[in-house]
Amino acid sequence: MNSRLAILGIVAACGVAGVGSVAAHHSATMFDRSKTLTLKGTVVEVHWVNPHVSYLVNGTVKDDETPSDWLLETTSPGNLARVSNWTRTSVKPGDKVLVDFSPLRDPDQHGGNLKKVTLVDSGLVLISNIREQEQPGLE
Amino acid sequence: MRMSLSAIALAVAATVSAHAGEPAKKPTVINPPPTAQDWADLAKLPDWSGVWNPKITDQDQQAKTNPPPWNEKAAKQAEHMAAEEQAGRPPPIFVECLPEAMPSWMLVTHNAMEFLFTPGRVTILGESDGNRLRRIYTDGRGHPDDPDPTFHGHSIGHWEGDTLVVDTVGIRPQTYIAVSEAVGVPNNGDMHIIERIHLAAPDVLHDDLEVIAPHVLTKPWKTTRIFFRQRARKFDIVEGVCLEESFSEKTDADGNAIFVPLPHQVGGNLYAPNAKR
Repeated sequence: MNSRLAILGIVAACGVAGVGSVAAHHSATMFDRSKTLTLKGTVVEVHWVNPHVSYLVNGTVKDDETPSDWLLETTSPGNLARVSNWTRTSVKPGDKVLVDFSPLRDPDQHGGNLKKVTLVDSGLVLISNIREQEQPGLE
Repeated sequence: MRMSLSAIALAVAATVSAHAGEPAKKPTVINPPPTAQDWADLAKLPDWSGVWNPKITDQDQQAKTNPPPWNEKAAKQAEHMAAEEQAGRPPPIFVECLPEAMPSWMLVTHNAMEFLFTPGRVTILGESDGNRLRRIYTDGRGHPDDPDPTFHGHSIGHWEGDTLVVDTVGIRPQTYIAVSEAVGVPNNGDMHIIERIHLAAPDVLHDDLEVIAPHVLTKPWKTTRIFFRQRARKFDIVEGVCLEESFSEKTDADGNAIFVPLPHQVGGNLYAPNAKR
């Protein structure tokens, strides 16, 4: 299957858009953590990889806007498993979701740092904040 | 010292010279076969099994309360980087998925690690960077006279009670002394790191570090990093190929499953397909 992200990659590799420096362990301050937006939409793609999992979600932040793609990045598979029993198949393409996220400072970038996913059909809530669960011995 | 392997470069199997009067040459064996006692002695070591996660809130705090004693030049760089990070323009320092390396792995990682005890060695395995690892020799050997510079350096260790004391040299000058994922300065060479790793509570591990980096620090920097264990939680360290995030999946014209590189923004996050460029 050719993913939408893969098509983006082909375009980038062709030089239409430059492939930037790859900095995989990175700070998250490019996201405005003073803001939390909620995206209502449908999961398009799941990118379940280290060191950052990301989801491509098509949806709306405001009720009256046209749905668009948002790329929402979060922590690593291991950290998600630890804090929320979150697995590769917890959130699948086609799932209807509400996503709480901190947006990139430029809204035209359509990107954000994913904080919480609510699966609309099951009501399951998955939280990604690893700093809130640092006590030893948690069950 | 708790490790039982007494050998330092054991000499074995003396070769009888074919020529009269020539001294016998003794080959040096640096990895002698462990004995049953060597394996049994491992049971006397403290229980560091399981998966250890870094206490990131403490990393955040330490960046403010116990910064490295930067020299004037390094301090200016660190201050500028901190201001950029605060302003939402975090400078990328672990570029191209190069290892966070020593000492930054221990200082600023957000990923889990585990310890393996085998005769003559402690191995630390971590997630990301293609499953990062440190080999700490506890068989009594010293450092090489002129070690090849590496990202994690050459480490030798010994046990003082239940504390593992680790001495590391031979670290690449390009590796950062980092206080966050966006603030740090390359050590610029001749760095020496001494660590005392021990349990501070049944499920809390402390790494007391002393970083000696004469080209960027005015004096040795002592700092502690905290790791915790959550045994009741069902998770394990998984494969962590750092560069995997930089690719997406595609099927080529021959039907092969292949990777396609993805573009990143300067700070390291991926571009959305419809992002304004």
